Amino acid sequence: MYEVLSHTAVAVEPLLELDAHPECGGLALFVGTVRDHHEGRQVHHLKYTAHEPLAAKVIRDVEHATRERYGVPYVRIVHRLGDLSIGDVAIACVVRAPHRAEAFDACRYAVDAVKHGAPIWKEEFYADGSSAFVEGCCIRDDLDAPAATPHRHHSHTSHG
Amino acid sequence: MKPIVFELFANLERLAGANECRVDAGEETVTVADALAVLAEQRPELAGSLERCACVSGDTIVRRADPLPADRRIALLPPVAGG
Repeated sequence: MYEVLSHTAVAVEPLLELDAHPECGGLALFVGTVRDHHEGRQVHHLKYTAHEPLAAKVIRDVEHATRERYGVPYVRIVHRLGDLSIGDVAIACVVRAPHRAEAFDACRYAVDAVKHGAPIWKEEFYADGSSAFVEGCCIRDDLDAPAATPHRHHSHTSHG
Repeated sequence: MKPIVFELFANLERLAGANECRVDAGEETVTVADALAVLAEQRPELAGSLERCACVSGDTIVRRADPLPADRRIALLPPVAGG
């Protein structure tokens, strides 16, 4: 089975499947890359870690759910793990669809779902030598009082 | 008393200074919530971070009310920030 988590550089082109899916007239691609700043601090590099068994399962579930929800035949997501430099590919998501509207919508849905649900953590290393884990989304499904910790949407927009 | 092993990730791993944490618990510890209470008592530096952690056994999220996994291993997953 293909990999959804990669410890080495992610090559985007092999994910596109341009020579397949003749019924599809659209391909939407999102590539998230490492940015050199976060909340006013200069980012030198970063490290992604994961609970790999659950992260892989969540990403495969997102691929499946996206195909079902948008009626598209092909959704492929790869998330990078390990040490990344500025500009490196952090996540790639490809959707093939008959038409562009569902390709764009499905691609956005899939990327958001992975960011909010896959147990992957981003540790940023700053120019001053310090580092911090980026604050993220709680993935408990039995939390009674989610209002106690407001959703910080600015921390979800790392790539855009 | 039998050990329960917590696997620690991200900020929790940093707080504990290790990627695993072992606590001893008696037979009265029967649910995931019970196990977390023991952890919070024995490792107070982690206590404040547990509320927002998901608990995972193998590749499955378990709830606080669920029984302690048979292998007595729980992965503690703090809020996620991929992408």
